Amino acid sequence: MPDPRPRWSTRHRRRVGAWTAVPLLLGTAAACGGGSESAAAGGDLTFAASIEPDCLDPQMSGLDVTAVIVRGVFDSLVSMTSDGRFHPWLAQRWTVSKDAKTYTFDLRPGVKFHDGTPLDATAVKATLDHAVDPKTKSRYAASLLRSYAGARAVDADTVEVRLSQPDASFLQAISTAYLGVQSPKAIRENPAGLCVRPVGSGPFRFGSWTRNKNITLTANPGYGWGPATAAHTGPAHLSRLSIAFIPENAVRLGALTSGQADVIDDVPAMYVKNVRASGKLRLLRAEQTGAVFSVFPNTTHGPLTDERVRLALMRSIDLDRLVQSVYFGQYKRAWSLLSPSTVGYSRATERTWPHDPALSAKLLDAAGWTARDSEGYRTKAGRRLTLRWPYLPKLMRDRRDVLAQGVQAQAKQAGIHIDLVGEDGGALAKDILTGSTMDLYSTGFVRAEPDILRYFFAAAWPPAKGGGNFFHLNDPELDGWLRAATATTDPAARAGYYAKIQDRILRRGLAIPTYVPARLVGTGAHIKGLGFDANGYPLFYDARATRKGES
Amino acid sequence: MTAARWLVRRLLLTVVVMLGAATVAFAGLQLTPGDPARVILGSTTPSPEQVEQVRHELAFDRPVPVQYGLFIGRLAKGDLGRSYQLREPVGALIGDQAWSSALLALTGFATALTAATVLAVATAGRRPALRRLSMGLELIAISTPGFWVGALLLTFFAFRWHLFPVAGGSGPEALVLPSATLALGLVGVYAQVMREGMERALDEPFVLTARARGGGETSVRLRHALRHALIPLITISGWSVGALLSGAVVVETIFSRQGIGRVMAAAIASRDLPVVTGVILLSALAFSLINMAVDGLYRIVDPRLRESAL
Repeated sequence: MPDPRPRWSTRHRRRVGAWTAVPLLLGTAAACGGGSESAAAGGDLTFAASIEPDCLDPQMSGLDVTAVIVRGVFDSLVSMTSDGRFHPWLAQRWTVSKDAKTYTFDLRPGVKFHDGTPLDATAVKATLDHAVDPKTKSRYAASLLRSYAGARAVDADTVEVRLSQPDASFLQAISTAYLGVQSPKAIRENPAGLCVRPVGSGPFRFGSWTRNKNITLTANPGYGWGPATAAHTGPAHLSRLSIAFIPENAVRLGALTSGQADVIDDVPAMYVKNVRASGKLRLLRAEQTGAVFSVFPNTTHGPLTDERVRLALMRSIDLDRLVQSVYFGQYKRAWSLLSPSTVGYSRATERTWPHDPALSAKLLDAAGWTARDSEGYRTKAGRRLTLRWPYLPKLMRDRRDVLAQGVQAQAKQAGIHIDLVGEDGGALAKDILTGSTMDLYSTGFVRAEPDILRYFFAAAWPPAKGGGNFFHLNDPELDGWLRAATATTDPAARAGYYAKIQDRILRRGLAIPTYVPARLVGTGAHIKGLGFDANGYPLFYDARATRKGES
Repeated sequence: MTAARWLVRRLLLTVVVMLGAATVAFAGLQLTPGDPARVILGSTTPSPEQVEQVRHELAFDRPVPVQYGLFIGRLAKGDLGRSYQLREPVGALIGDQAWSSALLALTGFATALTAATVLAVATAGRRPALRRLSMGLELIAISTPGFWVGALLLTFFAFRWHLFPVAGGSGPEALVLPSATLALGLVGVYAQVMREGMERALDEPFVLTARARGGGETSVRLRHALRHALIPLITISGWSVGALLSGAVVVETIFSRQGIGRVMAAAIASRDLPVVTGVILLSALAFSLINMAVDGLYRIVDPRLRESAL
């Protein structure tokens, strides 16, 4: 999913974090009593999330917390494992036509939505059509279906999906919760209510949603069509899953240490040691897939149009040390734009562009930035080497603001002046659309599919067309490989293209990957069976809450 | 002017205030930079068709005066619209959160008022050591940011001693720590204002008379001096309760409480005009009603104002 997990007061929260660090240590050391004593046979589980969904219609919302929550409510046609393979779920089997443009899914019979409607071919078609309908105002799902040309119910249990062009990322797209199958009756009869009362076929039924507080889900006792990748079959072990929204990092951790939450999302890297040291809590981690948090230089306007300056910036930053100190050793520095857990990741990129201040200086000299001004910044023809880097504060979660300041400080040593500017959504959208008013832009993108690189670099996908090619890069060679990589479904051929693509991105300095984000989930020791899906999102279907003390 | 006419005039003024507030909200969101349709669609870049759809549905493609007319027309019919972001009717959305905000505001206010009264009565013009200590502590309470007090209270009372829920509790126990945090920020201000008013009143000749009649010191203070100290306090409480009713964002966030403040903060960030307008109208209404109540209270506390107002 698109990286954003908005939170509205990053700066303020960071201050809270710092101020409460000491009391929190005390709290953690002394805590860990209590817990959900009511944990019955199946068990109840309270999961504290850091942000709240905007809407529970997976085809509308683009937040990853939405995917985490509604994963239990909606089933998908197929399920993906982290090795990039697909397994039966609602579709028992499927075939792909020779031209790779028609997918035929053979649906499992007897599946029922929570409202009693049968899940058949028309339901699948209704969901896909709902996702691409402009009226849905989809924040993300529609972009997963760019190549979708239409679906047809061949018979009740067979659905045929046509694509406008071959698209190797299609199966990954439909495996996500964002394209989970919704009840066609709900889509038809209550379109305004899809956000607040989702109706799916999954192991959990939607219970209630109290805004700014919690969402409750209850087990679907008739569930018998789990994915082939799950550890068990039949209904979920948990009888009730409640999701509490606790935006403050320190408070969320306090909820876990004091036993008032069984599982918490987004354990801040700086508190990981506390969780480990407690002895009674466990930390689960899953590296995020997709594009890591990266800085994209403007290749069409300003000083970074010169490849030497881009490479000089890349080499001037000591990411090993920076990532280590900003994230307390919890996250790895990134070498490629693709995260290591993504299919198609190229190991050959590793250690190819280490910190090299001497090389950086040489490149800047060669590019003509030879003079220095009174503050030590490099200049050319009397103009300082200044790079404007606007950002949306609420997206600089997870200490990315601190990381950006670190990059700024290191670039300064090389004589490059980075101007970090916090902006509101409107101003930033304008910067992104014009593309000439900023020199650097930073973002990441979670998706278990290397095709995400096309979003960032395809010449046909500038921001105005709904893409992420922020600076209108037009590199025909890269474009050709990106198209070829998605036109074939042969894993080896795809891997070959993506290796070349990742190499070229670094060689030309088209992106500066920074760190590999990981999802850090804290749980009480009494929680078993909690796992992650291929996207690195926690899964609750196999989870169970044993009584305190039992294990 | 009779009391009834006074009330009617004030209610009409309230309508004008609310109209003005709605207009300011509309203008404010018009003036913020960037395309609102894109902000509404979120931070992933939307497709051109989606942008068109949003512009059309929300009438952003019409001239601004037309948009304003449509906006005021809907409000006049009592229709606050549907949240752009949350796709829920604004009335229901705010209604769900308002009760929580009101409860927090009122308990926080009552706690602060009680504590301030005790402090002022006990230390105004006497017990110099205690007075100095109290004033020092009040100053610290005023200057300590709420997010730190809240985190500190949580650390000890919720994380360590398990006396109160960390988040999400629904009973009265969930109200204790947030109210205490709010009250701590207010008690210093109230106590200082009250003490000063009371010290001024204690210098008045009528206090000497009251003492001469043989009343005990505390009863002289409660029955005679306190009333004089109340006027500035009423003014300041009117303002602070109004502000609390429209949301205590920081406290709501730290304690993961429902509340108008969090709704408003999120709505502003995402250009959710219907929600912003709804909250602004609610705040304007709350302030207007509180001001009316404050004016009414002045007349009760200080009978001289009754004549002058008529």
